[in-house]
Amino acid sequence: MTNKVPITRISKFFGEKDFQLNIALGEEWLFGDMNFRVVLYRVDKSKTNQDDVYGEALKDGISFLPPVEIKGYVQVEAPSQATFGDSRLTQTEPGNMKLSVYLHHLEELNVQIQYGDYIGYAETENRMRYYSVADDGRIVSDNKHTYGGYKPFYKTFVCTPVNDDEFRGI
Amino acid sequence: MALPKKIVKNISLTPKKILGERRQELLEIIQKDGTYLPKGIYHSDLDRGMLDFVKNDLGISVDGKKVNTVDVIITTQNWAQFTQTWNFQDLDSNISPPFVATVRKPETPYGTNQGTSFKIPGRPTFQYALVPTFDGARNGYDVYKIPQPTPVDITYEVKIFANRMRELNTFNKRILEKFGSKQAYTNINGRFIPIILENITDSSENGLQKRRYYIQSYTFKMLGVLLDEEQFEIAPAVSRLLQMVDVGIKTKQRKAVAPNPNENTIEGLFQYLNGNTQLTDNLKYNYDFYQIRSNNVDSFDVYINNNFIGSNLEYFQTNSGDTLRIEITYDNPSEDAFILFDQKLV
Repeated sequence: MTNKVPITRISKFFGEKDFQLNIALGEEWLFGDMNFRVVLYRVDKSKTNQDDVYGEALKDGISFLPPVEIKGYVQVEAPSQATFGDSRLTQTEPGNMKLSVYLHHLEELNVQIQYGDYIGYAETENRMRYYSVADDGRIVSDNKHTYGGYKPFYKTFVCTPVNDDEFRGI
Repeated sequence: MALPKKIVKNISLTPKKILGERRQELLEIIQKDGTYLPKGIYHSDLDRGMLDFVKNDLGISVDGKKVNTVDVIITTQNWAQFTQTWNFQDLDSNISPPFVATVRKPETPYGTNQGTSFKIPGRPTFQYALVPTFDGARNGYDVYKIPQPTPVDITYEVKIFANRMRELNTFNKRILEKFGSKQAYTNINGRFIPIILENITDSSENGLQKRRYYIQSYTFKMLGVLLDEEQFEIAPAVSRLLQMVDVGIKTKQRKAVAPNPNENTIEGLFQYLNGNTQLTDNLKYNYDFYQIRSNNVDSFDVYINNNFIGSNLEYFQTNSGDTLRIEITYDNPSEDAFILFDQKLV
């Protein structure tokens, strides 16, 4: 068991109890009022049917652990219109999804969202858009992710859209 | 187990034609379902030919699924792209990889199909075929004439968009095998038009926080020709010939040609060196000898066939087969001497 170092920063007006209270209030707002839910498909790297040389998943060959519903703050960026490389083929590329999740929530669920995992977000009742985790927010040392410099309290995941050829859920 | 190379897997039931027969076969292909004239070739025919080549000759399947081909040249009109790709679009109506698309460079410079040398100006037409005709009374021919096709080089970029390296490999293998001999051919209106693989470039999307996919571009140059049917000519051949000759009535006196004074005459030099006093010559023709001059000769005697003819002769005759001998007496024996004759052939 590793040693624990008590955090005494800004202790004159902020402490662990305040921190926990604010997290609880935030979760109450996020889970109760906002209630954004996504489905996390963690890739089962041992069972995924992948190419021996390139390591690329074969079509419908991705195996994943049991999906987990995660509550977080979802921001979907605006789509952008671009061409496929330098061709004249145009496409409207869906925007990335930014998902912010409380660390406390992840600890409760006992899950880790890792680079390459897939996330499903129900845009409508019958349409699910899938994203791949391009930035798993593993570093949370910056001021933005700490509560006034006290302790990190959430992670931000940047997820890029994927097409059916790569992943299409269950 | 692979079969030995000597075992033929496919046997053609019809023998392949070569040389003259093959050329005749090609000519028949060009004229098939048409007139005696070849079919015209325009830019759109060349583009269609390239699309067919990409679709039929470069088509691939990966994991048992055919890779889609955008069967239209990508132009500036968006709806054309949409209508040709609607059957392999995703939920966002974007084209779903893997697929292959063909992009043509708009500029089409003067071609190199027939070399880059200068051509005959004025676009004259040349005889292509002689077609027999019969007007009810007389047999004749129609001359079918066409201009020299205009060469044009068209550059195409065939792009594969894929999510997996295996798909790139399969496409790359297909192309490199097809262009193993540097060029391949596509049949456009019965003509085999060469296509050359120029280079291969990669412009894959590798952004960290973007959807990633591979894009590989294969640049091809089609050495095409343009042939406009509007410029074909059909004209009746000559069936009767009226030849007119214009004869002048004015007579001209021919200028007299001066005879060569020395015609049939050669110079014969008899040189006597180092105290030599006689020279002998076997004559092959009939000659008349005329003495021109001499040097350091006091006197000379002429013998023909060892018969003495005379001394210091200005003129004597010989016949073919004679042996001529001339003996001299020096003025000054310490110096060389000569006698020069004109030998006239008689």
